[in-house]
Amino acid sequence: MLVYLGRRLNLLVITLFILCAGSFALAFLFPGDPLTNLSGLANPDEQLRQQLMHKYALDQGFFASLWQYFQLIFAGDWGISMRSGSSVFEEVTRTLPASIELSVYAMVLSLFIGLPLGIFSGLSHRKALDRGILSFSLIGYSVPVFWLALLMILVFALKLGVLPMSDRVSLLYDVPLNTGFVLLDILQSDMEHREAALQNAFAHLILPTLSLTVFTCSLIVRLTRRSVINVMDSDYIKAAYAKGMSRSEVVWQHGLKNALIPIMPQLVMQFTLLMTNAMIVEVIFSWPGIGEWMIQAIYQRDFPSIRGGMLAVSVVVVSFTISMDVLLKLLYPLSKRQLHAQV
Amino acid sequence: MPLLDIKNLTLEIDTSFGWVKALDKVNLSVDTKEVRALVGESGSGKSLIVKSIIGALPERWKVTADRMNWKGKDLLSMSDNQRRAITRSEMSVVFQNPLSALDPSATLEEQIAETIPDNLLDKGWFWQRRAQRHSIAVAQLHKVGIRDHELCLKSYPHQLPEDVCQKFTIAMALASNPRLLIADNPTMGMEITTKIQILRLLSKLNKTRELSILFVSHDLLAISAMADSMTVLYCGQSVESGKMTQIRKRPLHPYTKALLDSAPSFRRDLPPKAALHCLEGTIPTLQHLPIGCRLGPRCPRAQKECVKMPDVRRIHDHHYACHFPLHRDKA
Ligand SMILES: Nc1ncnc2c1ncn2[C@@H]1O[C@H](COP(=O)(O)OP(=O)(O)O)[C@@H](O)[C@H]1O
Ligand code: SF4
Ligand SMILES: [Mg+2]
Repeated sequence: MLVYLGRRLNLLVITLFILCAGSFALAFLFPGDPLTNLSGLANPDEQLRQQLMHKYALDQGFFASLWQYFQLIFAGDWGISMRSGSSVFEEVTRTLPASIELSVYAMVLSLFIGLPLGIFSGLSHRKALDRGILSFSLIGYSVPVFWLALLMILVFALKLGVLPMSDRVSLLYDVPLNTGFVLLDILQSDMEHREAALQNAFAHLILPTLSLTVFTCSLIVRLTRRSVINVMDSDYIKAAYAKGMSRSEVVWQHGLKNALIPIMPQLVMQFTLLMTNAMIVEVIFSWPGIGEWMIQAIYQRDFPSIRGGMLAVSVVVVSFTISMDVLLKLLYPLSKRQLHAQV
Repeated sequence: MPLLDIKNLTLEIDTSFGWVKALDKVNLSVDTKEVRALVGESGSGKSLIVKSIIGALPERWKVTADRMNWKGKDLLSMSDNQRRAITRSEMSVVFQNPLSALDPSATLEEQIAETIPDNLLDKGWFWQRRAQRHSIAVAQLHKVGIRDHELCLKSYPHQLPEDVCQKFTIAMALASNPRLLIADNPTMGMEITTKIQILRLLSKLNKTRELSILFVSHDLLAISAMADSMTVLYCGQSVESGKMTQIRKRPLHPYTKALLDSAPSFRRDLPPKAALHCLEGTIPTLQHLPIGCRLGPRCPRAQKECVKMPDVRRIHDHHYACHFPLHRDKA
């Protein structure tokens, strides 16, 4: 177990290291002056230039500057956004929680809907219920997320006018920024119309969350269904029946556990895919998350922001993946001993 | 009345090339207190018969039989619940592959506890029952020769060597104190000493507890030591069945003869270093089944009539299905 933890930690550190190095390399690969790309200060004069050279240790050779870059990244000095002039790190910490919030809700909703549907479907394999669920999941799986989002806006926001189509909360409410998660922030705050603000924020969440949920949910249904079918066909299930156990006993005591454990890693890994989709959906719903923020940065050739955003997103994805792997291993140590990471 | 009586069991399975009859009019019966051997090459459908008896086949496969009786009651027309009640208390099965028959995510203790029916426990509170189950489990493990019962019971299947799992599945099958044990290749791959121990245990249970056994194997040596009677299966058809001694002395079906000839220990007259006799060719696959007698293409005695399925004929209680049985020459 210790060896396993050591390996995963090792993997995490090395991957983060490589990601940092990659983002450092980006500063040189982007067009323009590397100094500007690193710091975000356009057209520095000679004196400032000397200062920056010194700050980023660019005059002391490659490795020294790389090392210097790591230290700055860890200290939270990610340069300045060329658009707004404020710190990239601050903007990332403001926008990233919004994206994570959206993804978490969509993930939770997908699991709550997808797992039971997948299980029912798998248990009634080749029956009408199974076919129905399977066809719906096929549709959900094939619809492009951005198109679905636009369709939802068209129907619910424009035609029916029942739900808002952009931003996280109406401009009427002034939500203090605290955790970055809008529902939490409202709950923690002592603002005047808390209930109303909460409802409003909730209404804003519905459309983006739903458009993300459809795809992930379908995927979860299909994964779960397949796994349930495989397990229910296996010899030990037949053997359990032969022991005289009833169907519900077999399903509860032998079926579900074995069906769900092997797909756990795949299920949690859907979260990273979901984050990617969330970035697209953000742009459509003008959700102030990191996806929307980065798209703006790309439009305006704001290289320090692009660099920072990419680093932030990849760090989140990598840390999430590895920590989930460790968590699952701690919960279910009996799955085949895999010391090495798996893709 | 036989304990288990199967007549003309036919099983159609759907494969990628359509429906095929994996079992074709199989006859099999097990009497009370009898050890019946079911013999045949691998791929001949022995495990499919076992699974049909306990109802562990995929639902879409078509099982038909003129008769499939357990103590006179028809298994096929029973409800699932009635059938499970029988497999719970009266009939036990040891599956061919022990590892796949064990739930990988449950400890062996949990799995053996499930097989012990309530009526084997004394009346008592539910917390006492747990301890009773444990002691029954331990006793069973000792019987099959697992000494380190604590380690075994708290392990998961993948943590134990395969032969321990194999012995464990036998212990599990015996834990419910059944009338009939169906053992599908129970000694496959075992060391010779372990094997003897298991065979002795089964023989003893057969004598003392009147346990009937359907012993599925292709290990003729083990069978000849154990079995009272034998059914020979070839390619999904039961070709010959009868008393062990009778069949050994005088096989009527060409396939049985070839099978017995291929086992050197059965032939006392064999000179040293003589070539062993065996049939040409291999058992046909399911997509290329010959019509009529399925042994046809490999049979040394085959003639034109053999494209028609031979009827089952019998001499006393010796049954065989062949147009040109061996006794005709000798007579
Ligand atoms: N699940 C299955 N799907 C398709 N064919 C099967 C399946 N199980 C067994 N068979 C086929 O049925 C035949 C008999 O198999 P089996 O009963 O396992 O033989 P045995 O136990 O005598 O070695 C084999 O030809 C095998 O290919
Ligand atoms: S029926 Fe014909 S082919 Fe079949 S075993 Fe008898 S002689 Fe051989
Ligand atoms: Mg078999």
